[in-house]
Amino acid sequence: MFQFNLTYAPGGKEVIQAAADVVEGEVLVVSAPSGTGKTTLLRILARLQPALSGQVFLYGEDWLGIPASHWRALVHYLAQKPALFEGSVADNLAKPFAIRVLSEKPFLANKAKALMAELRLPSHLWEQDARTLSGGEAARLALVRALLIEPALMLLDEPTAALDERSRQAFYAVLQSWIRQPGHAALLVSHAEDYQLNNLKILNLRSLP
Amino acid sequence: MNQTLPISNIQLAFSVFLVLITGMIASFLRLGLLKSLVWGTIRTFVQLTLVGYALTYIFQWNNLWLVIGVTMFMSWVAARTAVKRTPNVPKYPALLAFLALLASTYLVGSIVSILIIAPIPWYAPRIVIPIFGMLLGNSMTGIALSLDRLYSEARARAPEIEALLTFGATPWEAIQDSLREALRAGMTPTINSLMVVGIVSLPGMMTGQILGGADPRLAVRYQIVVMLMITAAVAIGCLLLVGFSYKKLFTEDGALKPFLLQSRN
Repeated sequence: MFQFNLTYAPGGKEVIQAAADVVEGEVLVVSAPSGTGKTTLLRILARLQPALSGQVFLYGEDWLGIPASHWRALVHYLAQKPALFEGSVADNLAKPFAIRVLSEKPFLANKAKALMAELRLPSHLWEQDARTLSGGEAARLALVRALLIEPALMLLDEPTAALDERSRQAFYAVLQSWIRQPGHAALLVSHAEDYQLNNLKILNLRSLP
Repeated sequence: MNQTLPISNIQLAFSVFLVLITGMIASFLRLGLLKSLVWGTIRTFVQLTLVGYALTYIFQWNNLWLVIGVTMFMSWVAARTAVKRTPNVPKYPALLAFLALLASTYLVGSIVSILIIAPIPWYAPRIVIPIFGMLLGNSMTGIALSLDRLYSEARARAPEIEALLTFGATPWEAIQDSLREALRAGMTPTINSLMVVGIVSLPGMMTGQILGGADPRLAVRYQIVVMLMITAAVAIGCLLLVGFSYKKLFTEDGALKPFLLQSRN
């Protein structure tokens, strides 16, 4: 479903090579010590920054043949510190649907509310100012927002760093059920080893001499 | 009524006395401004004297091409000055600011000169050059504020802009909020001045006309035209420059440029 073979230089010096073939329903865990460019790899795959060289394919199609905006909606990057927009939680969930690429998809408020409940986000948050959420609430809201736009591939950067144990379990349960649906897969960067996900594959980043 | 009291050379020399007052304040309080004051005074005398002679010459000549040349030169200087007044913007091409200023001031200036004031000929330098001076002076400040705000907003909102990009927004869609703030920053001073004119501030042009012996009621009519034309030119200039500039915040692949993700150094 998703293949890549890239070289990049996260700190500007050491050159890293990363290659993998991700199949449907799979989670690729990017494993490497801190500061070796795991976040950089996800940002490159989301086309938020360039690689030195390499190729990426989604469903056999070269990424260069797909406009960046379409690509980013399909290969969605979830930042380590998710950015919340001005307005309520509901505004935040609806905001992406004002974008032209997503304009054909409806904003499903009921689906959003169901996902929030599964992620242990109380329903009264719906009207609350999103900028007043705690770090853990914001991380879970960002997952709801990402799931609603229905990407094919999710790039998750330390998504559970701000979560307590029970919220983390809920987070992985929701993520797991999304990955099981046809046409989905994920890349995950995480320090905690308790991924609580099935069908894992580990990608070790190695630096080129 | 319509006569200007002349200022003789001796009378003009007396105005240096005013500089002495300023100089005494600056030196007694050790403000470190004395050198700038002296240099500024000399420059005021020299620059304005030269401009006086140049304008006399240009007014007599009354040639369309000369008027175009002079206004282009004024626009270029204004553009250079504007891009230097933007601390948040790294190396910005003055040419873009020049194009924005030229388009906005020529459009508004032509409307005012041809339709509203309608001198004969329509390009009469006595009318057109002061109008361009006022348009450019205000537009220059406006576009500098807009441009600077565009960059500082993009930097402050970088996480939000990137989040929008990750949902599939184009650069244009992702930068909307920053664009709006940039336009607001450029246009607000001019719009505010519409509120207080005549109450808090007596504009320089109107004061000049009244000192020059014009009927205050006529001076007011001119001032109304001037205020509205400045507002229009500032709005158009800011819109054009911001429109020219937002793409410079993004890479060719439509991602935010890295310098906007780092702190300012």
